[in-house]
Amino acid sequence: MEEKTKKRKKWGGVAMRKKAVLLSCILILLLPLAGCVGKKEISDLAIVMAVGIDEGKEAGSVKVSVQVARPADARGQTGAPAGQSGEAIWNVEAEGESIFEAIRKLSSISTRRIFWAHNFIIVINEQVAKEGIGGIIDFFSRNQELRMRTKVVITPDSASEIVSTATGLEIIPGEAMDKLFRYSAISSVSAQSDMMELLAAYLSPSSEPLLARVILQKMKVDSEKAEAGASLKQIELAGAGVFKDDKLVGILKPEEMRGVIAFRDKLDSGALIATCPSNPNKNTTVELDAPSFRVEPTYHNQEIRFKATLDVDVSVVEAGCSFAINNKEQVKTLQNSVEDTLRKQIMTTVNKVQKDYQADVFELGKVFQNKYPYEWKKYKNNWSEIFSTTNIDVVVHSEVVSGELLFKPTESGKKEKSKE
Amino acid sequence: MTNNSKEKQFTNHLTENVKMIVDILQQSVDFVKREMVFHEQKQIKTALFYIDGLASIQHVEKVIEAIMYEGNELIIRNDIEEDSLLKLLDKHVLMNSSFAAITELDKGINAILSGDSILIVDGCSKAFHIQTKGWDTRSVDEPQTEQVVRGPRDGFTENIRTNTALVRRRIRDPELRIEAMNIGARTKTDINIAYIKDTVKKGLVEEVKKRLERIDIDGILESGYIEELITDVPFSPFTTIMNTERPDKVASALLEGRVAIFVDNTPFVLVVPTYFWQFLQASDDYYMGYMAGSFFRMVRYAAFIISLTLTSIYVMLVSFHQEMIPTPLALTIASGREIVPFPVLLEALLMELTFELMREAGLRMPKPVGQAVSIVGSLVIGQAAVQAGIVSPFMVIIVAVTGISSFVIPNYSASYSIRLIRFPLLIASGLLGLLGFSVMFALLAIHALSIRSFGESYMAPATPFQPTDQKDSLVRFPWWAMKKRPDLADGDQQKLGENQKPSPPDPLAKKQMKSKNENSDISSRKKEEENGKGSSAAANSQAKGKQQAEAINKKETAQTSSSFSNKDEGKLDTLFPVNQPEEQISVIEEGVEKDNAAMEKQQLFLQKTRNITSASGVKRWKKKRKKGKNGEG
Amino acid sequence: MKVQITNGMFMALIINMLYAKSIGLTQGVIAREVGGDMWLSTIFASMQGLVVMALVVIVIKRMPEGDLIDQFHQIFGKWIGKGAAFLVFIFFIGAYGSIMATFVYHLKDYFLPEAPLVLFIAGAFLIGAYALFFGIEVVARMALIGIFSIIGLNILLMIGSLGKFDIRELLPTFQSGVVKTVWASRHHNTDWAMATMMAAIILPIVKEKKTWIKSGTAGICYSAIIIIMWPILETGVLSPEVAAQYIISCMQMARSAEIGLFIHRYEMIMIALFALSILTQIMMTFLCSSIAMQKMLGLKDYRPAIIPSGLILSGFSYWMVKNHHRAMHIIEGIWVPVSLGIAVGLPALLLISGFFFKKKLKMKKNNANVQG
Repeated sequence: MEEKTKKRKKWGGVAMRKKAVLLSCILILLLPLAGCVGKKEISDLAIVMAVGIDEGKEAGSVKVSVQVARPADARGQTGAPAGQSGEAIWNVEAEGESIFEAIRKLSSISTRRIFWAHNFIIVINEQVAKEGIGGIIDFFSRNQELRMRTKVVITPDSASEIVSTATGLEIIPGEAMDKLFRYSAISSVSAQSDMMELLAAYLSPSSEPLLARVILQKMKVDSEKAEAGASLKQIELAGAGVFKDDKLVGILKPEEMRGVIAFRDKLDSGALIATCPSNPNKNTTVELDAPSFRVEPTYHNQEIRFKATLDVDVSVVEAGCSFAINNKEQVKTLQNSVEDTLRKQIMTTVNKVQKDYQADVFELGKVFQNKYPYEWKKYKNNWSEIFSTTNIDVVVHSEVVSGELLFKPTESGKKEKSKE
Repeated sequence: MTNNSKEKQFTNHLTENVKMIVDILQQSVDFVKREMVFHEQKQIKTALFYIDGLASIQHVEKVIEAIMYEGNELIIRNDIEEDSLLKLLDKHVLMNSSFAAITELDKGINAILSGDSILIVDGCSKAFHIQTKGWDTRSVDEPQTEQVVRGPRDGFTENIRTNTALVRRRIRDPELRIEAMNIGARTKTDINIAYIKDTVKKGLVEEVKKRLERIDIDGILESGYIEELITDVPFSPFTTIMNTERPDKVASALLEGRVAIFVDNTPFVLVVPTYFWQFLQASDDYYMGYMAGSFFRMVRYAAFIISLTLTSIYVMLVSFHQEMIPTPLALTIASGREIVPFPVLLEALLMELTFELMREAGLRMPKPVGQAVSIVGSLVIGQAAVQAGIVSPFMVIIVAVTGISSFVIPNYSASYSIRLIRFPLLIASGLLGLLGFSVMFALLAIHALSIRSFGESYMAPATPFQPTDQKDSLVRFPWWAMKKRPDLADGDQQKLGENQKPSPPDPLAKKQMKSKNENSDISSRKKEEENGKGSSAAANSQAKGKQQAEAINKKETAQTSSSFSNKDEGKLDTLFPVNQPEEQISVIEEGVEKDNAAMEKQQLFLQKTRNITSASGVKRWKKKRKKGKNGEG
Repeated sequence: MKVQITNGMFMALIINMLYAKSIGLTQGVIAREVGGDMWLSTIFASMQGLVVMALVVIVIKRMPEGDLIDQFHQIFGKWIGKGAAFLVFIFFIGAYGSIMATFVYHLKDYFLPEAPLVLFIAGAFLIGAYALFFGIEVVARMALIGIFSIIGLNILLMIGSLGKFDIRELLPTFQSGVVKTVWASRHHNTDWAMATMMAAIILPIVKEKKTWIKSGTAGICYSAIIIIMWPILETGVLSPEVAAQYIISCMQMARSAEIGLFIHRYEMIMIALFALSILTQIMMTFLCSSIAMQKMLGLKDYRPAIIPSGLILSGFSYWMVKNHHRAMHIIEGIWVPVSLGIAVGLPALLLISGFFFKKKLKMKKNNANVQG
């Protein structure tokens, strides 16, 4: 060691420089030795747009079906003529004992490498969901290719059929399904559920997962067979599925979704049908604007109560009868009617979730934890039983603020004349 | 070979001298020897040597004329000795603008080869070196490699004296020094070093001279030779010496404390030291408004980044990290690449090569054909290649955008070094994806950070971060905000006087016009510095006196304006004062006072008429009229 | 080394040394212990860091011409000085291992899963050797670039994830109890230990002695501010349980961030920025270990020591990083007492012994004054 240091002390000598240069050359040459490891050309990839998981034929096996985009058909001719066959997607399915194995089997069918990074949506059949989706959650969160904001939905129909249906206005059906959720807040019929939220809810000590639900419904009119009416199936948002741990325990219908969305996300504007104040046989449709929703926990004598308050502004969008916005009585009646309807809707959901399913999808555990952290420790371990016994009060306040553009009621002028 | 002639000197005898010169220069067809007789009676023979083409025939003929005609004068004086022969010729005969007497043969030979003439007189041991240079040169024209929209359009030529003159015209400071030297054993090229003495950094000129003197080469044909021989980093693709064809660039560099190196026979002048970011600055930035200049400068920075990294990023994304591409774009790229047989890296290299081919071809082709190639090449070849399925359309766009961005960089040699650096980056990112890209980028960054250009860090003022120099780096601050010279310059740091920000004249507060007396003026400050600190006391008292005068003037204006409102008829004097000293009412003030006057008049009129226009007022007026009438009648 | 670096560069170096590992790896470790209170642990750790940094500055100020090892040499003699150098070397080997774990797991697991590990190690070695060849100035300038990229990275992340931020995840505080939270801060302590040890070695080169203490503590403060954003966002956006699940939680958060509808995953831009900072950290660790080896072997300049120390560092990090389990075991387990012991122990030892051996220090100062 000493001799070497003596030699090395002469830094700057030519021999030393040459050695350093040689060593660095060797190191630099080491890099290309890897030989483009990990390189995958984009034209060698089968870009998966949607994936569906069903039960396989044998017991305990899964069937994975994927929707792969065909770029040449999806985009049209951008260069030299490519192989265009007119179909924008290519659907295949494979079975295996576990998801990973099924996917491996897919590679024996596909000419290109299956690439998950652009996947829009994961569709899970309800039968599979009832048996537990823990394995699915694990697979998709361990994999580094998948985006964590991929949507996850359940369906009573066959997932592979959903995945293969050409639906929506988009070229790629997977993209269409993803976009379905973008405007779902307007109709409030389904929740937004993506992989990240699912994982967070699954790992959470108190909250339970809630997944959106889709069904196939004959809604599209075939332009060539117009006389047959709606004959082609399209994908429709239809409520949500309530999970306990990782098993599906129940379904919430689309009408019941408003209650859940209020607790979990932000409620957007929604529509509501109330009875007309002046004519109980007719209906008035109102739009609920600027809803603000608060939940407050209270804790007295070892009893947990939750008070939920919903404030909405009401605008009359469709009045089937004569309704004047400056008629105070009519307004009051309408308000009461709206409040009642809303309350009933939310309470139905709350009761269903609480009593029937006993799964805290409302994230009330977190709310309680935030306000009473010390008391929470007592109830942490058996929250789901306690949740089903707590009292949840719902109070709704509404205020009619506008009749859209009109100020006077829309009625036939002739009636008035006869009155006069 | 030349050693002997260095020591050789001219002798008294004409024939020997002539033989010596002819021996060395021998038999070139353009080497002319002209023999004349001077002083008919004494038959003093003279010989004149010059190179045809290098020497201007007019000047040579002047010499001959002088010798042959003016010799008559000496006929009057019969007495001629050796010494006075020199003096005679010097004072009375030769009419050229400059000449000298030389003794060494070597200098004489150099003089002949430079275009001057050598006159040898029999009996005189000194030869006359007469300035007769004159040859054909290109006229001063717009530089072809650096064009501007706004700014001077003269560029350097191949004549070194013209070049230095172009710079001298812009800097009339007596501190501008130009020193000369010769480099190149066979070419003996003239090199001039220019700098401003009290601004240049200490030690810089000596360093430059040291490096230039170290050069030992047979010929310097262009300033590029010198660049390579004195650079700080011989192995780096970065250029540490700036070269330019524009005199205004050289002048501004000299004002910042740099040194310029002029080389004969080339219009490209070198400027040292250089920062890397200078290559991204164009003269336009400084002459257009600062907002436009800053905007275009940022466009250039973006172009720099694009030309360096865009292709590498594209290759990296498409080959390794397809998840980063937005999905619709990914599908489009995939569809374009469906039928291309090559991997992306190879495709990129192929397209880059093609682009370079087209560019080089456009440069070398004769002008009439060159235009066709550039247009046809870019459009048709690109489109045709895509149709043929050799490249994907996306790649054509990427390469085209990269190419265009690299031409945005104003300095041609800098754009070249950036194009060169692009290739290792491209290959590294094509081989290893993100790891390759970041490793290679870091290596390049480290390399760039370690370069020094004549002692200055190459990447200043970004790193090491010099806050004082930031006013000209990312954006250009207005001229009235750039107060100091860059950190590079020693000596006089103050570049700008006080309060240079322009503003419209303020009518309310009286501001004196500051041009003559104010100490903030640069030239007067300079004089002050020269006179020493004694005058500063005087200056202070001067300033005080000024303030007092201002205060007095303020009062006076207040008085005048208030007095004006009281009396309506003109004190015309107050509107146009004649005798009031140091009171210069600006045009706006005049206007304001006129308005005030008009308003006053109006108010008075209204006051009068108010009494009339109300109902009771009308009655009163009628009464008054009646009274008046009655009074009259 | 006659080179000098400015105070700004010194602060930049401190921030760079702290940043890379603390935002991801450390947060995952802390989340596994205390869940939603990770940010509190980080704050506690930073406060401790301030104290130790002040301690280091005070200690070095006593003998400003030499660094930590030189002081040991001066006070205790040659062999203990060499022992101190050896301990410092061990420290930086461990530090390099954890830094390489960060580097490799960020780049390899998420972007290049099939690339062989050797490439990453060799690439880092190459860059470190190349930069050190030019000297510390170049590394300090890279640190300045690193600062800009860190700020850019923070801003990009905030843009992409603030939309999904849920403050309810953070509240209530001190869920796991104060003691546990403070105890969990030891993991972040190992991060600033790297910065303080680096400061102990390079303080003599920093200009302007008077502002050493201000720049040192300011550096730790700034880095605390920049780093604290990450655990807060990670808890709010992901949720503490998810953050605890992953080895590198910062990457997970970066992957979930979205700007608008068309840029779904821009973590590559963030990683490119992040890479500059972590490469600076690699270079700096390399430098400090070469200096330690130089002092250990009694060489005049650290350049001959670059290659042997680099080889040792690379070998160790290769062994450590290859197995995820082993790496996490070392980082969570062994490394904590080792690093804190060396980083706090050595300066503390000097502080105490400095009181007893003041004469020796003064002698050195006088000698220096006479010479210089």
